[in-house]
Amino acid sequence: MRLFADLVASGIAIGAIYGLIAMGFAVIYKATGLANFAQGEMSMIVAYVAWTISTTLTGNVFVVVAGSIVFAVLLGLAVERFIMRPMLGEPIFSTVLVTIGVAVVLRSLITLVWDAYPHALNLGVGRDVVKMASVSLRGAQIASILTLLAVMGAFYLFFRFSKIGVAMRAVAADDRTALLMGVSAARIHAIAWGCSSAIAGIAGVLFALVYDLSPAMFQLGLKSFPASILGGLDSVIGSGFGGILIGVAENLAGGYVGSGLKDVAGFLMIIVILMVQPFGLFGEREIVRV
Amino acid sequence: MTTPSHPHAGDAERAPDAPPPMIEFRNLQVVYDDAIEAVRDVSLQAEKGALVALLGSNGAGKSTMLKAMSGILYAEEGKIDNGSIHLEGADISAFAPDEIVRRGVVHVPEGRRVFPALTVEENLQVGGFTTSASVLRERRDHAFELFPRLAERRDQIAGYMSGGEQQMLAIARGLMSGPRLLALDEPSLGLAPMIIDRIYEVILDLKKKLDLTVLLVEQNAARALEIADYGYILENGRIVLDGPADKLAKNEDVQEFYLGAGQSGAHKSMRDVKHYKRRKRWLS
Ligand SMILES: Nc1ncnc2c1ncn2[C@@H]1O[C@H](COP(=O)(O)OP(=O)(O)OP(=O)(O)O)[C@@H](O)[C@H]1O
Ligand SMILES: [Mg+2]
Repeated sequence: MRLFADLVASGIAIGAIYGLIAMGFAVIYKATGLANFAQGEMSMIVAYVAWTISTTLTGNVFVVVAGSIVFAVLLGLAVERFIMRPMLGEPIFSTVLVTIGVAVVLRSLITLVWDAYPHALNLGVGRDVVKMASVSLRGAQIASILTLLAVMGAFYLFFRFSKIGVAMRAVAADDRTALLMGVSAARIHAIAWGCSSAIAGIAGVLFALVYDLSPAMFQLGLKSFPASILGGLDSVIGSGFGGILIGVAENLAGGYVGSGLKDVAGFLMIIVILMVQPFGLFGEREIVRV
Repeated sequence: MTTPSHPHAGDAERAPDAPPPMIEFRNLQVVYDDAIEAVRDVSLQAEKGALVALLGSNGAGKSTMLKAMSGILYAEEGKIDNGSIHLEGADISAFAPDEIVRRGVVHVPEGRRVFPALTVEENLQVGGFTTSASVLRERRDHAFELFPRLAERRDQIAGYMSGGEQQMLAIARGLMSGPRLLALDEPSLGLAPMIIDRIYEVILDLKKKLDLTVLLVEQNAARALEIADYGYILENGRIVLDGPADKLAKNEDVQEFYLGAGQSGAHKSMRDVKHYKRRKRWLS
């Protein structure tokens, strides 16, 4: 029972990181209709930038986090402006391939600019173990869960009440008609890439706080993609929940069955769930009315 | 306001001091995929405050003209190959869609195209995307006055409403940015006659109260000519006939081929009419 509780708790914590990246995935998908396969790489780059700030400038946690978020937003905007926007109107297939290209470039940047060794991101916080009832988690793990909840709440409000959020849903539903209403698609796309990169970046920093940096961090993206599919690719909040489910499932599979199953548990879960719920758990069904 | 006696008059016939038309298409030619010529050399204009009908059967090029005006051709691999579109004299042919909306031109697309997963109120909010929040509230209240039915259903998901309600929403949404020119693409499509009456009534009302210029695209020529001031008939991407609405409605050929008065049954083209004299003025 103790093992179970521990596995679930740390599953939720890693799942929260998957969930954040998956939400980034869903935001871009919702606004632009595109799957961005560089999401995990964007997380990783931002985490490395955070590490560089902490080792060269200051280890102050607020400065490092603020600096990484600013960098993440700029990275997202730059990718949108200089790579994705010129691809507008090209077939989806080529555009998705371009995101894979971006992923490969970002991945190789790590060894070019930094190195191939693991590093600890030490901000003087988050490493201490907090015991609650029978489970113990690190501070940064608890912070990941709280961040996920906060970002989910923020997105809920954004999509319900803000002008840009409602317009983003309109673009997702029918981009041509949104254009006719004066919604600038380019602006919406830029906002989506900026937001998405920011939350992926936050996830990367949180991950590095708990588990250290390494050039293999991009694999976070491979875990988050199923999370997003599970939640419904176009459902940002659902993708957050999807992350938690994948995190818990892979921890339980790894703990009870064997570590071999850990990495594929998420994909097994999508297969089963999509057979029952083809649009994911929270995906919007198309409204068809004749 | 006083309508000019010839609201359609070409440049040569216009009084030299007359204000430029609200919208003017000059020798417009539109090509899709660099291959399909959907609009070939069309000139058309609507004076400020006029209701101009653009009529024609399937594939004539009506929607293409509106898409050219609202700047969204690029989204369908289409482009203006020749000619230009002028809003009160200013060339808007190369403007981005949001800039065109900001300048007061709104195109309500064919098939209503409400955002299905959004509520009525959210649809209106998107329609007012270019507008500030305070003005938005005012316009929304005005839209609800115009269509009380929408007020009753403000929190309903738009995709589940009836066709008539969706058309009302599409028009109301188009009004949210406060346009001076409203282009409606087949607003009567698939609606019951009673609903069409209601929608046409509102269009006339808007034209009078807001001094709106209306470009009304329809296949249903009879209905449209009842409320229009002036009409153009488009066929295969060319204007084949134009004139004041009452005269057009009385025209024999129009009656036979567009108003269903003909007995032949089979659809023939205006081109097949032997005695039909093509008007050459637009082809120069
Ligand atoms: N996106 C497109 N790509 C290629 N060809 C197109 C496209 N849209 C329209 N066309 C062609 O252009 C011509 C004019 O089409 P358009 O939609 O403007 O006609 P319409 O008068 O609006 O007809 P309808 O009354 O059926 O709506 C047609 O021959 C059509 O096949
Ligand atoms: Mg059409």
